[in-house]
Amino acid sequence: MKRRTFMSCLGCGAVATVATQTRLFPPVINSLQNAFALGEPKELSSMEARHYKKLPAGGIECGICPRHCQVTDLERGYCGSRENQGDVYRTLVYGKPCSLNIDPIEKKPFFHFYPGTQALSLATAGCNVNCKFCQNWEISQSRPEQTENIDLSPQAVVDLAVQRQTPNIAYTYSEPTIFFEYMYDIAEAGHKHGLRSVMVTGGYIEQEPLRLLIPHLDAIKVDLKSIREDYYKTIVNGELKPVLDRLVQMKKSGIWLEIVTLVVPTLNDTDAEFRDLANWVKVNLGADVPLHFSQFYPQYLLKNLPPTPQATLEKAYAIARSEGMQYVYLGNLPGHPTESTYCPQCNAMLIERKGYRITQQNLVGNHCPKCQQVIPGRF
Amino acid sequence: MSKVVVVKYIGDQRNRPLTQSEYKMLLTAALHTLSGQSDLAAAARRYLPGGVVGMKTNCLAHRLNSTPLALADALTAILVSAGFKEKDVVVWERSNRELASAGFTLNVSGAGRRCVGTDANVTGYSDEFHSSGEVNSLVSRILTEIVDVNVNVPVLKDHSVAGLSAGMKNMYGAINNPNKYHGNNCDPYCAHVNNLESIKSKNRLTVIDAVRVQYNGGPGYAEDYLAYYNGLVISDDPVAADRIGFEILEHLRAINGQPTLERAGRPVRYLASAEKLGLGIADINKIELRVIMIDKNGRESAGELLE
Repeated sequence: MKRRTFMSCLGCGAVATVATQTRLFPPVINSLQNAFALGEPKELSSMEARHYKKLPAGGIECGICPRHCQVTDLERGYCGSRENQGDVYRTLVYGKPCSLNIDPIEKKPFFHFYPGTQALSLATAGCNVNCKFCQNWEISQSRPEQTENIDLSPQAVVDLAVQRQTPNIAYTYSEPTIFFEYMYDIAEAGHKHGLRSVMVTGGYIEQEPLRLLIPHLDAIKVDLKSIREDYYKTIVNGELKPVLDRLVQMKKSGIWLEIVTLVVPTLNDTDAEFRDLANWVKVNLGADVPLHFSQFYPQYLLKNLPPTPQATLEKAYAIARSEGMQYVYLGNLPGHPTESTYCPQCNAMLIERKGYRITQQNLVGNHCPKCQQVIPGRF
Repeated sequence: MSKVVVVKYIGDQRNRPLTQSEYKMLLTAALHTLSGQSDLAAAARRYLPGGVVGMKTNCLAHRLNSTPLALADALTAILVSAGFKEKDVVVWERSNRELASAGFTLNVSGAGRRCVGTDANVTGYSDEFHSSGEVNSLVSRILTEIVDVNVNVPVLKDHSVAGLSAGMKNMYGAINNPNKYHGNNCDPYCAHVNNLESIKSKNRLTVIDAVRVQYNGGPGYAEDYLAYYNGLVISDDPVAADRIGFEILEHLRAINGQPTLERAGRPVRYLASAEKLGLGIADINKIELRVIMIDKNGRESAGELLE
């Protein structure tokens, strides 16, 4: 609002109320929004957070992510979505999604997890890192007062997924670690109704909450943003090592895992980095873990950089394949042959994709129809 | 050389919240001394030449330890006497909820002084990012679009991360993502927040309420760690004002058995960073400090910063 408009409110009859939210950012809510009455701004959640401890000298220490924010009364952690209220740490976003969509599972992306199915996808405001290239910064870098939220209990999410016949629920867009309690309770309730849950995360989560969460999840996609610690420090505002540790933990747990790396021109696009990243994944997670390289588009704080050239992505693909990775994909290049899944044994086309659409599905169960090679994943 | 004025009330009933008239006495004396002008209107106009004046409060700790309504009312009265229209004074904070909880009456549509949070539907944050160093933030539209100049009216208190919470730290309440900038004891982030052009160019005066100081356990309310200083710190240099606030805070900590902020693990380095950015003076040897004691009849006498 411009000053003149604000000052002209003198005679417009509007009454200021104790509102808790602004209408800052257009919510990333599609037509499903119409299923709910947004109505007046709602109160934030006051549910007690999990995974924190009270400090002897007052204040609390959050244990949900490796930051271990120490937070005194009335202050919030780095994520902006958890607040100390009288030395009780509370999540402000439980049951308060700001984004809700039905997406193809390929959009997450998961390419080896029930291809062609849909996922009821949701997010709340907040994030525990601050990537300069964030595509969803309007919600991830906002506090919950700044987004337009709806009230949706875990059971209501499950009911909606059942009603819309989406077999998957995806926790995505921002960073689900910061709405851990909400995600956990939805996933737990979803399993009781036969719904699968998938987490789309940066992997910057502590070991114990992840251990407790994994039994309620069915797949995890991790954004491994780089294999360089310095990149995590300067571009992500996080740390690499805990992410690598969690990736190993996820793999050992047996949960389905896919990895995505956004290739940002001049920042993480050298041959050496592609090689090191692919090699780390192969050695620590296995050659059969799907590895996606995605194209960057200028966004948020990196509007000065160009989109990733297709040739750079193709180079990443070639290097990862030469390092022995069996399922390498290029993202945000609709129609490119590397969107499709090929048999690593006989090179037969197994799943053909055009963007998020599946145009051919030749798998028989989880086998290649030609050579009977077993294809890893959940099909 | 920057000038800072500290005014202390030494009336007959010390150690209580001050009234609007008492605050007005302190503000009047401080503005005269700071500006060197004998006319109050001219003194106020020296820093706030005209237009719409913002008054950024600190209402985090609700009614228990926030910018006092009496102080905001006294400052408003002075601005009105200096020729400002009351409707051109905007008391603001990041949220309506915080303002209301501190005792302010919200008002965007009625006559009289405006009072509104950035989160109100009529305001919000800038569309574009404002950047300085590692700080990239959306800034309250109250500051970027509605007010022409701003008076920063924080309370002096301890902060569990920053060490010192006074004027500069209060401007975290003007950006959309303050939670991202608390690392390393807010250094250099606090300096860079105040170096955002929209903040730097509009902040003309800092009035730190140091009547009752939360010398430990802040920024929330902790009743075991409250001490009365009975004063205001006023300057047109935001760094120098905070530097003097820092001296008061450390003094109150020391006489109440608390370690220095440095020893407590929250060194206040952001003042030096701010000086390096050219935002003001952090070196106390380069600050011209005037301390005025005022009795209940408004009589002034020279005083010491720390007693």
